[in-house]
Amino acid sequence: MHAAIRAIEYHLPENTISTADLAAQFPDWSAEKIDAKTGIECRHIAATDECASDLAVAAAQKLFTSGACSPQDIDYVLFCTQSPDYFLPTTACLLQDRLGIPTTAGALDFNLGCSGFIYGLGLSEGLISSGQASTVLLLTAETYSKFLHPRDRSVRTVFGDAAAATLLVATNVREPLIGPFIYGSDGAGGPNLIVPTGGSRQPRTEASAREYEDATGNVRSGDSLFMSGPEIFNFTLSAVPASVDRLLAKSGRTLGDIDLFVFHQANRYMLDHLRKRLGIPPEKFYVFMKDCGNTVSSTIPIALKSAMMEGRLPEGSLAMLVGFGVGYSWGATLMRSTEMTSLLPSKSPGLISDP
Amino acid sequence: MIRREFLMALDEILELPPGTLQGPEELEGFAHWDSTAVISFMALADSNNGVRLAPREMSSCETVDDLLRLAKVDV
Repeated sequence: MHAAIRAIEYHLPENTISTADLAAQFPDWSAEKIDAKTGIECRHIAATDECASDLAVAAAQKLFTSGACSPQDIDYVLFCTQSPDYFLPTTACLLQDRLGIPTTAGALDFNLGCSGFIYGLGLSEGLISSGQASTVLLLTAETYSKFLHPRDRSVRTVFGDAAAATLLVATNVREPLIGPFIYGSDGAGGPNLIVPTGGSRQPRTEASAREYEDATGNVRSGDSLFMSGPEIFNFTLSAVPASVDRLLAKSGRTLGDIDLFVFHQANRYMLDHLRKRLGIPPEKFYVFMKDCGNTVSSTIPIALKSAMMEGRLPEGSLAMLVGFGVGYSWGATLMRSTEMTSLLPSKSPGLISDP
Repeated sequence: MIRREFLMALDEILELPPGTLQGPEELEGFAHWDSTAVISFMALADSNNGVRLAPREMSSCETVDDLLRLAKVDV
């Protein structure tokens, strides 16, 4: 048995902030400049009392309503977030209860950002191919907006909140439909994308809440998210092309064998540069961030869902998925597209087999 | 990419009229020399000269010519 993606749904919070709104708040950056650098017109922002788990619940409920599966079918919940409800208990356990998933299901949180979906797929394939689970609910959800200082344009123009629910089911096929996987980690880059306080290492204090202005006019405090854009760009140039090469070598494929490339939707400028550097034709490179921004671990499933809805991933096509970011952490895999029951809600859930 | 083309590209990055930059200008004087401009210059050096610039090295550059030297452009 191997894992197959049967359905993907996502949820965006109701509140939005447009590029025009941001340009009005930051007169040094025009709407045109923000658009050229980010490719984002609109970001969805969670309400004050709305947690990442609330967004995840909404995405999962869409999955159940679509008929792709029922809560009773799920035997493992994976929740990827860096915005848990509490230090403890595990948010995935709370989600099991809120979603009405059987108490016989396993549930765990894992703390990753932009690489999280790839790791979630790897964990799902491991759980299913080893017989530990047959129907995995992979939830990715983030509310980075709560970490952003309102006067830090470098991050407010980029990040949006969202959740995605991906249903992975055991599939009776000889060869994996998702894989092989390559991974990478480099904690030396940790300080370049960080919320420094609030954990065990550096508790929040009056001093950490003190605001400061950087050399280019962005304001933040030790309690807010800091991102060094140039360092992240440098990391990306080093990690992504090498990851693509490693994955192609491991799978015995060439770039030409890939029908669609779906990378973490960091920002349009970075993606354009990576695409050109890798020599990927624009028609094979999927970009979907205009209406939601960089939603961290949910960008790849949201883009995948959109690509599926547009018919860009017909049955049998091969997609390369690459996630990279905070940690530093990165990962990549190949996904063979199967018939998606999310597009055929009348089909009953269950195991799918080789024809 | 030759020096003149790099300077023209840097004019655009810094939102200056074409032909403004000559080389000796101090970077600190430009309002648009911010993180997005740094990233744009890193992309320029990578695409055109195959040079990967480290942000820490770039932060020690004081003038446009310092940047060009780092990007291995003949000054």
